[in-house]
Amino acid sequence: MIEVALRKALPGFTLDVAWAAGDEVVTLFGPSGAGKSLTLQCLAGLAHPDAGRVVVNGRVFDDSAAEVHLPPQARHLGYVFQGYALFPHLTVAENVAFGLRDRPPVERRRRTADVLGQLGIGDLAGRHPRELSGGQQQRVALGRAIAPDPAVLLLDEPLSALDAPLRRQLREELRALVVGLRRTVVLVTHDLAEAYQLGDRLVLYERGRVVQAGPKAEVLGRPASETVARLIGLRNVVRGVVVKTTSDRIEIVWRGHTVEAVNSPTAPFQAPPGTSVAFVVRPEHVRLIRKDRIGPDPVHHMNLLPGTVVETIDHGTSWTLLFRIDAPGSPSQGAYDLEIEIPQLVYEILDVGRDRQWRVSMHRGALQVLPGV
Amino acid sequence: MSDPIASALWLSLRVSLLATALDALIGVPLAYLLARRRFWGRQALDVLVMLPLVLPPTVTGYYLIVLLGRRGWLGGPLYGLTGWSLPFTWYAAVVAAAVMALPLLVRPARAAIESVNPDLERAAFVLGRSEWRTALEVTLPLARRGIVAGLVLAFARALGEFGATLMLAGNIPGRTTTVPLAIYTAVSTGETEEARVLVLVLTTLSCAVIVLASRLGSRL
Repeated sequence: MIEVALRKALPGFTLDVAWAAGDEVVTLFGPSGAGKSLTLQCLAGLAHPDAGRVVVNGRVFDDSAAEVHLPPQARHLGYVFQGYALFPHLTVAENVAFGLRDRPPVERRRRTADVLGQLGIGDLAGRHPRELSGGQQQRVALGRAIAPDPAVLLLDEPLSALDAPLRRQLREELRALVVGLRRTVVLVTHDLAEAYQLGDRLVLYERGRVVQAGPKAEVLGRPASETVARLIGLRNVVRGVVVKTTSDRIEIVWRGHTVEAVNSPTAPFQAPPGTSVAFVVRPEHVRLIRKDRIGPDPVHHMNLLPGTVVETIDHGTSWTLLFRIDAPGSPSQGAYDLEIEIPQLVYEILDVGRDRQWRVSMHRGALQVLPGV
Repeated sequence: MSDPIASALWLSLRVSLLATALDALIGVPLAYLLARRRFWGRQALDVLVMLPLVLPPTVTGYYLIVLLGRRGWLGGPLYGLTGWSLPFTWYAAVVAAAVMALPLLVRPARAAIESVNPDLERAAFVLGRSEWRTALEVTLPLARRGIVAGLVLAFARALGEFGATLMLAGNIPGRTTTVPLAIYTAVSTGETEEARVLVLVLTTLSCAVIVLASRLGSRL
């Protein structure tokens, strides 16, 4: 359990965040310089917030109202630093045992051996960090952090120093390990895949603030704003103007065409006509209309838009088409309006490589209107 | 080897070793403070420690007399209390050599401490070490090359100290006449043979120090 509220002003940057998490993996995600690492440093007592309150499992770490600021030594946290910060003059075993100094020697040796075994690096015990690969160093850093059995584990970009294939492999391992701890794990990353795969809960940071926080599926499935949608890497975040809102439908004029979206039954969107609004269209939810099908089909031909494929990008098993709607004015996303994702097979059957003029359709449920600014 | 040569050599060794030990005691903590802490007067302290490097040694010696002499700021009260004063004892030679050699230790030691990744110290804090334990277990061991290099340089500097020693300790044969002072005396009184022996001994010793320093440096 962790409750965090922090305020810290630096020249040209202010951190002002509040979030909470249970015994789960909470991912602080956002661009570089958003304040994620600074948050970790405040949690560990390595940086002092100007104001705030940090409570871990009922223990008050910081409470500026009561002038409580525990030093890092008294917090008993595990911290995996970006770049690992292994002690270069100590062996792997000595690194892992570093936080076990106040235990009796026998127990210290046993615990060190256990942790090394658990991480599969028992045979490296006598080596020095400079003799290890990146992945091995990462494991040692993790071992050193978890050996004293900390109440909370903090991970600062734990995989960013590794090559892509190794990163994928270690992501799996890390997930299994941190879930097995059954503790609060706070993970900082700017890598979307890491955030998707490792976290139970997502806290999205931007410029020192939390723009959305919640269970991973909720944040990813229902972004609270255009900012969030862009932050979590959604494609086709575009803007139109509301013409009509009912309890279950929203009509929007976009690039000279009227498109229809579903209004949320739980949190209906209510904006007067004329309001500028952002919405998302998932690239895999846009369909190309086959030219050999004649006659309108009200279910499949919803939100019909004519246009041109201006570029195709091959991903091996699928293609991305950049589509420009036939309408005056400049397209929504630079040279195009929509990214469309289609499987390789569809690409071949429809012969998109040769034929560039298409009508596309989007089911109204595939248009997600983003509240707020 | 005649008696004055042996006594000058023995005195020089004692003075240099003691001055280096004194510098290790003062200089390493000082280098750590200058490298890692921000405190009021840090800049002034930095200038004060480095000053003997650029001042003429006689000027440094003069300040030492003002500070430690029988009527000095510290030396006066000391004389009043104990009837003992520092100048013209062999301890004065130690103090003069230590002050002159201190910047040669502090500079490389400080640079070495500054180059230790601060995340290593943070990691030690998080794992329960106090700043003091962290300095002993992490920072200083990792800065050891710079510290040892500084100690060797300081020793060499102490061995060759002349001006400040002459000012504070004088040139009393058998008591404060170190090798450099003995060489000066020998040359000025026409004892060329004695001067030649001392020059050769000091040169050999200095070469040995340089070799030792590079051996130590590559082994650490």
